[in-house]
Amino acid sequence: MYKILCLLCIVVLSGCAGQQRATNNLANSLNNQGPEYVLKKLQANKPDDRDIAQYHLNLGYLQLVNGDFKSAIDTLSLAKREMAVLEAMSVSETAAAGTVSEIYRSYSGYPTDRVMIHNMLALSYLFNQDIDGARVEMLQADVSMKKLAKRKSVRGQLASVHLLAGVIYELLDERSNSLISYKHASDLLKQRGISQPLGLKQALLRMSYKLGADQQYAAYKKQFPGLAKPEMSSGSQLFTLYFDGVVSNKQEKAVMVPSHDAEQLIRIAMPAYPPMKKRSQRAIITQGNQRLTTQMIENLESLVRDDLADEYPSILLLTTTRALAKYELVDKANEKDSLVGLLVNIATLVTEVADLRSWNMLPANIQFAYLETTENEVLINSADHMQKIELPDGSQNLVLVNSLSEQIFHYQQD
Amino acid sequence: MKIKTNFCFAVIAAFMLSACSTSVERLDSQEQVDLSGAWNDTDSQLVAREMVEDALSRAWITKFVKQEGTEPVVIVGRVKNLSHEHINTNTFVANMERELINSGEVQFVASSAARKEIRDERGDQDLNASEATRKEMGQEYGADFMMQGQINTIIDVEGSTQVRFYQVNLELISIKDNRKVWIGEKKIKKLIKNSKLRE
Repeated sequence: MYKILCLLCIVVLSGCAGQQRATNNLANSLNNQGPEYVLKKLQANKPDDRDIAQYHLNLGYLQLVNGDFKSAIDTLSLAKREMAVLEAMSVSETAAAGTVSEIYRSYSGYPTDRVMIHNMLALSYLFNQDIDGARVEMLQADVSMKKLAKRKSVRGQLASVHLLAGVIYELLDERSNSLISYKHASDLLKQRGISQPLGLKQALLRMSYKLGADQQYAAYKKQFPGLAKPEMSSGSQLFTLYFDGVVSNKQEKAVMVPSHDAEQLIRIAMPAYPPMKKRSQRAIITQGNQRLTTQMIENLESLVRDDLADEYPSILLLTTTRALAKYELVDKANEKDSLVGLLVNIATLVTEVADLRSWNMLPANIQFAYLETTENEVLINSADHMQKIELPDGSQNLVLVNSLSEQIFHYQQD
Repeated sequence: MKIKTNFCFAVIAAFMLSACSTSVERLDSQEQVDLSGAWNDTDSQLVAREMVEDALSRAWITKFVKQEGTEPVVIVGRVKNLSHEHINTNTFVANMERELINSGEVQFVASSAARKEIRDERGDQDLNASEATRKEMGQEYGADFMMQGQINTIIDVEGSTQVRFYQVNLELISIKDNRKVWIGEKKIKKLIKNSKLRE
């Protein structure tokens, strides 16, 4: 009976670990194979029930960057509902995670996932020509961020979400809401020690001016002395968002040591991120002689590491508890029969795998640029692809460019 | 003994599996059911009924009937969703229309989308219908008032507890001169406590 249980455990767990590896390999292939190929491969996968939220997050994001906005809305909305349900704790899953393996817990998303999902949904609604739907997502993102907010911590607070909210409110001519959102984005970047993109500085100046908030405008004018005075109507507006690269996957760091009496082996496996990639690409916007590059608003590479670092104490505690429980189990089995003890020990070693799940197909960073022009077209260059964007007189435009494909998505408000 | 144990196991397993199967129960459409705490059909019906009752009990309607000698003609315009939820405002607008028509105190004209379809049909009749049955262009009833509005929310959240405050604002505007003849407001407050544990 013991032997069968051991074998069963090994087979099930190796299957779960295999699934994690397959998803991570797919994420790794995004840079070279492109989102269309990876989307097809991912759709062919049948995820485990415990990984369903992670699967829908990745699937929804790929549908967005492939331009299938309707499906992206459906899939990401599903992921949002799943994560909301999974926020509550499951006693059976926690018990399994504490005794067998961490991957017995359903993936419920990290704080960054819970807020970033609203960003991706808002963009999907926007490119699906539903700006009101995008506005709803921004309001929900605000609630999610408030829920995660803690004193002296910026956990789950995303500057890119506040920035996109500011842009959406500006498109809807809700000037006060727009200025507040841009201000939140600016404050967050200051707290994170990231320099503010030029487009955000211009937004603060522009919205305080248009709103008639004289004191704030004067303060921003003083803060950004090099920037030109905004004009009430000065041709077309172009907001550019650039998704650069793919965020890193978690890796397993494991050690195996003999017990003090050398009767069994103990394995400890923890998730960790590899050293951060420094290289990042930028999109270039050219209009006549004017040349503008996108600048970073969100460093997701850094945020996912912060998320894991925050979880680290509880992961370590659970891993230690599990090691103790497994040690006791092997010890008891050894007392009965040394062969059974050996088999149980092998089972405890094989089942000790780190939880490597994450929303691992997100961009590595998000960049932003803003352009105001009286010209009717601009050129956008990203990853050696050049594309022309038409800007009708007086229009407001938001474009999404990504380094993974040649597709540029364009929302236009007349 | 072993047979008995196996039998018990089978019964328990069957009971547990039956608990997992999908079940469907027909409910009265007027029955109040709240699952997630989000805006639902009950809120939509309740707000539409109360606001139309309020609108029709105010002085503007008697003034209009006295002045014009006929019931006012009303059209429901856009109700903007400015809330935190993806609310299908079409169902709310449909509830408003139903309440207004059934009140018998106002006349009602079709929405702009419906009018366009009817105009297309009249254009088609112009070409294809017999003279006796053909409906002429230019005989439409022009609305006197348009009802417009918005749904707003304020959400206060702390851990797994939420207070959702809905505020629906509607106004009736005279199409002739843009005068607002009635402004209505309905508030709904919900306390939602999500479970900290799941299966």
